[in-house]
Amino acid sequence: MSPPSASYLGVPGYAIFWVLFAIAFGLFAHRVYLLIRLMLLGQKENRFDSIGYRIIYMLVATFGQWCNLKNVSRKDRAGIAHAFMFWGFGLFLIGYFIFIGVRGGFGFSTLFVDGSFEKVYFSILDIAGLFVVTALIWAAIRRYIIKPERLKGQITAEAGVILLLVFSLMVFHFCVEGFDYAARDASVSWPPIGGAFASFLVDRGIAQGTLESVFKGFWWLHYAIILSFLVFIPRSKHLHILASFPNVAFKSSSPKGALKPVDLEKPETFGASKIQDFSWKQLLDLYACTVCGRCHAICPAQLSGKPLSPRELILNLKEHLLEVGPELLKVRGEAEASSANPGKALIGEVVTEDEIWACTTCRACQEVCPAYNEHIDKIIDLRRNLAMVSMSETVRDPLKNLRVRGHPWRGTTLARTDWAEGLDIKTLAEYDDVDLLYWVGCTEALEDRSIKVAQAVAKLLKLAGVNFGILGDEEICCGDPARRMGGDHIFQLQAQTNIELLQSYNVKKIVTACPHCFNTLKNEYPQFGGEFEVIHHTQFIADLIKQGRLKLTTGLEQTITYHDACYLGRHNDIYETPREVVKGIPQAKMVEMERNRKGSFCCGGGGGRMWLEERIGKRISEMRIDQVIEVKAQIVATACPYCLQMFEDAIKAKAAQESLTVMDIAEIVEGSVVH
Amino acid sequence: MVNMIVCIKQVIDPEAPVSLFRIDPEAKRAIPPKGTPPVLSPFDENALEAAIRIKETEGGKITVISMGPRLAKPILRESLAVGADELILLEDEAFEDFDSYTTAYILATAIRKIGEYDLILCGRQASDTDAGQVGPIIAEILGIPSITVARKIEAGNGKVRVERLVSDGYQVIEIPMPALVTASFEVGILREASAVASVTAAKKPITTWKAEDLGVEPSAMGRSKLLELFMPEKESKCQMVEGETEEEAGANLALKLKESKII
Repeated sequence: MSPPSASYLGVPGYAIFWVLFAIAFGLFAHRVYLLIRLMLLGQKENRFDSIGYRIIYMLVATFGQWCNLKNVSRKDRAGIAHAFMFWGFGLFLIGYFIFIGVRGGFGFSTLFVDGSFEKVYFSILDIAGLFVVTALIWAAIRRYIIKPERLKGQITAEAGVILLLVFSLMVFHFCVEGFDYAARDASVSWPPIGGAFASFLVDRGIAQGTLESVFKGFWWLHYAIILSFLVFIPRSKHLHILASFPNVAFKSSSPKGALKPVDLEKPETFGASKIQDFSWKQLLDLYACTVCGRCHAICPAQLSGKPLSPRELILNLKEHLLEVGPELLKVRGEAEASSANPGKALIGEVVTEDEIWACTTCRACQEVCPAYNEHIDKIIDLRRNLAMVSMSETVRDPLKNLRVRGHPWRGTTLARTDWAEGLDIKTLAEYDDVDLLYWVGCTEALEDRSIKVAQAVAKLLKLAGVNFGILGDEEICCGDPARRMGGDHIFQLQAQTNIELLQSYNVKKIVTACPHCFNTLKNEYPQFGGEFEVIHHTQFIADLIKQGRLKLTTGLEQTITYHDACYLGRHNDIYETPREVVKGIPQAKMVEMERNRKGSFCCGGGGGRMWLEERIGKRISEMRIDQVIEVKAQIVATACPYCLQMFEDAIKAKAAQESLTVMDIAEIVEGSVVH
Repeated sequence: MVNMIVCIKQVIDPEAPVSLFRIDPEAKRAIPPKGTPPVLSPFDENALEAAIRIKETEGGKITVISMGPRLAKPILRESLAVGADELILLEDEAFEDFDSYTTAYILATAIRKIGEYDLILCGRQASDTDAGQVGPIIAEILGIPSITVARKIEAGNGKVRVERLVSDGYQVIEIPMPALVTASFEVGILREASAVASVTAAKKPITTWKAEDLGVEPSAMGRSKLLELFMPEKESKCQMVEGETEEEAGANLALKLKESKII
C-alpha cells in the first residue's frame, strides 16, 4: 500500500506529503533563485553557439561521466567511484520519481505493484545501491583515512554530511523495500537484497500490522531525508549537481589557447576589479566547483610554494559573490549599480596580487577539472584590470618595452637578422614569392642561446629544399606576452600591425618554432581578421622526415626525455608528433617523465612570467629539472624557446651541466641529418 | 595654475643593439637602424613626468612640442595619453642636422607662437647628442631665468623651486616664473598610460607647424659647424687569469692588478 494514502492522526497522508514537499521545494527553489540572480549580476557573454553540439557534448561528459573518467589513472581512481555514484544515484532519482512521486504523492497507489516492472527496477536499484554504498565507503576511506593530497584542507564536515546523507538514503531504500515486501507477504527472490531482507523479516514472525507500520515509518523517514538532501544541495558544494550540467554545456567553444579579446571601444573599465565585472559564465564556474582539489594538486605555482591555488581562487570568489551579491542585487538598476563595490576589495583582499601574478597559464587546472571550470580567464581578467587600469608596477616595464621596442627582450645586443648572417636567407621585402614564412619569434631572434635554434631550423628548411623566407627587421612581437600579462591594448596593436604586414605580403602558410607564437598566430589572430595556416616546427620537421626530405642518419647515443611545452601540449593538443621525431633519432633512447603529455609540468616561463621575477617558494623550472634528473635523462628535448631558457638557467643553478643538456628538437634533428 | 610647455626630442633608441648603429660619414649623421623604432629621449620623458606631477597638485595646461624632419606620431601621442593636454609637432624636412643654437631658436619661436606659459621643461640633455645646451639657450633667447640638471621641481605661486644636482650633493634654488628648468632622471620615471587613456589619446587631434608657419629660415642660422662624426675604433684585450681553484684565481687576479698598479 502507499503510505500517503493512509491517514495519520486524522491528517491525510497526501496533505503531509505535499506540505513537506512544498516546504522543501520552496527552500530549494528560493536558494536556487537567489543563486541564479547572483549569477546574472555578471556581464553578458555569448556561449549559445552550436546548441546541438553543446547538448551532445554535455550528455557524453556528464551522463557518460567522461568528466571524471578522463582523470582516472593508477594514482587516482576516484573517478570510477564517482561514476558509480552518479549512475547509481541517477537510477535512484528515476525510482524516486516513479515510486515516491507518481505512486505515492500523485496517488497512483497501485502503479506497478507486484508487477514485473517493479521487480526489475527494484533489482536494478538493489545492485545500484550496492555499487553506491561501495563507492561511498571507498570515498569515506579516501577522505578520512588515506587523506590524499588534493583533499587536504577541504570542507570536510560538509563532505561528511553529504556522504552520510547518501549512505542513509541507500540504507533506507533497503529498509523500505524489505518491510514493504514483508508486509505484502511476498516471498520473492528478486529484488535480491529487498527480497532476502523481506524473507528474513517474514521468518521472524513479526505481525503484519507491525510490518506495515514500520514500513510506513521508514517510507516517511526516507522521504524526509530525500527532501533534506534537496534543501541541502544548493547550500553546499553539492550545488555542482545542478551547476555542472550547464557549466559543461556552456564551456568555451573557442580554440583552447585563445583568450577572448577586450573591447577597447568601451573604455569605462577593463578587466575585473569587482565581482560583477566577471561574466555570468565565469560566475557559474564558481557554483560548478566540486571542491575536488585536482587543480590545486597539479598547479605548478601551488606546488612550488606560491600562494596561488586554482581551487582557492574559485572558492574565494564564490564566497565573495555570496557575501556581497545580495547587496549588489539591491542597488541593481540604479545609477551607481555598475560601480557599486561593497565589502572586500576583489583585488588585494579576496585575491592577492601575488596570487594573480603567480599563474603561468599552463592550463593544467582546466584540463583536469571535472566540472570544466575555466580558471585562466578569471586570472587574466584580474590581470587586465591591473595592467590596463591600475598600471601595476609589476608589469609596467615589460609592457612598456614591448610597446616601444616591439619585443620583450630589453637589453638585447642582437638585431632581428643577426642570427641569419651567412645563411643566405631572403626576407619577404627582398623576395616575396615564397611558399612558406618562417616566423622566427622574438626569443629565437634576439636571445643568445636561442638563436642557435633559429639557425638549426633555417638549416633544416634549406636542406630539405623548402622555399621559405623571413620577415627580418619587419618582424615584431606576436604579442603573446602582452596579452598574458593583461595588457590587451598593446597585444591588439601588435596583432593588427602584424596582420596588416602579413596580408600585405599575401602570406598563407607560416611555420614557427615558438609554441606561443604558434598559438597566438593560429588561434588568436583570427579574432582580428588574420587567418593563416600555422604549423609548429616539430610538425613541419616530422612531415619533412616522413616525406624523405630529411634523413636522420647520424646516431645520438643518449637518453633523451621530451618535455611537453604547455602551449603546444595542453593548449593545442600536440603531444605525439614531437615524440615521433625524437624516437626517429638513431641510437637515441627515449624515456618518459612521470608528468608527461596532458599532465606535463610547466617550465615556469609562460603567462608572461618570463619577464617577471620569481621570488616566492622554489623555482618551478628547477622542480621540472629535478623530474628530468629523476628519469636519468642526459638530454631534455624541448620545443619551446621559453622552456629552453628556463631549463638552461635551472641546469646551471643545479650545477648539472656535466650530466644534462637541454636541446631544442630542431637542434637534435640538425645534428642527425646528412649535410 | 601653472601652464607648462615641455620640449621632447625624438631620438634613436639608446637601447638599440650596438650592431645596428651606423654613421653616415658624408651626411655626418647617425643612420636610424632598421626595425628599431625611435623613442622619446629619456630625460625629456622625465621632464614630462615632472610636468604631470606639477599639474596634479597645481593644475594648469601642459603643451608638448617636438621638432624634427620626420616625426613618429604614435610615440609622441604617448605624451597625450599620460597627461599632456596638447601636442604640437614642428615637422619639416628642413628641420634636420641642426646645431644646438638653431634647435633652440626654432623651439623658442614656437614657444613665442604658443604665447602664454609659466614654466618650460626640457630634459637635461638629449640621449643622442648629450650636448645639454638647448634648454639654457631657449631661456637666453626668451630672456627668462633657467636652472639645469634638476632632481626635484616644485612650482606654484609664481615661483619654481628646484633641487639642482651638483657633483657632491644638490643646491636648492628658487626663481620666479616664467622660467625654464631642465630635468634629470631623478625627478621620476614617466608613468605608463592606462589603456583607457591610450585609446582616448589616439583620437585626439595634433597640430603641426612647418618652417613657414614659424616664419624661420633655418639654414641661415647655425652658429657651430659639425666637422666630423665617426665611431672610434675600440679595441679590447682580455686576459684570463687562471688558478687551480677559484680562490687561487682570485688571488692571482689581485696580484696582477697590483702589478699593473691598478690597485
